[in-house]
Amino acid sequence: MDQSDLALRNHVYRRFAELGRAPELAETADELGLLAERAEAGLRRLHDAHWLVLESDRPEIRMANPFSAVPTPHRVEAGGRTWYANCGWDAFGIPAALGVDGHISSTCPDCGEAIELDVIDRRPKPNRDVFHVLVPARSWWEDIVFT
Amino acid sequence: MRLFRSEEHVARWLRENRYEPGRTVTAGTLCELAHAWWGNRLAPDWRPRTREESQAILDRLGLTGEFWQLA
Repeated sequence: MDQSDLALRNHVYRRFAELGRAPELAETADELGLLAERAEAGLRRLHDAHWLVLESDRPEIRMANPFSAVPTPHRVEAGGRTWYANCGWDAFGIPAALGVDGHISSTCPDCGEAIELDVIDRRPKPNRDVFHVLVPARSWWEDIVFT
Repeated sequence: MRLFRSEEHVARWLRENRYEPGRTVTAGTLCELAHAWWGNRLAPDWRPRTREESQAILDRLGLTGEFWQLA
């Protein structure tokens, strides 16, 4: 990884936050003045370094953690937008990354009931729900979509 | 990594899906972890953390032991 990879990564994250969605490969290449092939190679290096996650079948962004590029059961209202998070941890990560309060809407995998909570001044309200991590930390990236 | 209504809901979900239990933490701890882990993701001067730095975040929140070891 070099400075150009870091610049690509930071550009993707900045545009994700600005757009409220993942920037497409063609947009990223255009904005950075890169050939599409070069932008794709760069995104693949970022994927391999776990700096973001590409779709398995095409060079488009699936995750720029904590943000998800696809709808998930974890929806977050923050900074005047609606976002999707990759998991419960990332749901809290979106207000954290944006530096704002937020509201998290999720669903209990056991009973299907809605989980609604606010993040205010970096604290959950109410603080009654729990978070379960199934996969040991050293294996988180073996199947990040499952994790 | 999933949010549940309570530890009882976690236990039932694990049992019904025949999953080996992992670790359960409170929403408060998770929120602290998220701020420490993701808080600088959009910073213009973002740099990747070392594994040791990431492990130190988990340690500081009491997420210790074999399960929480990143490597």
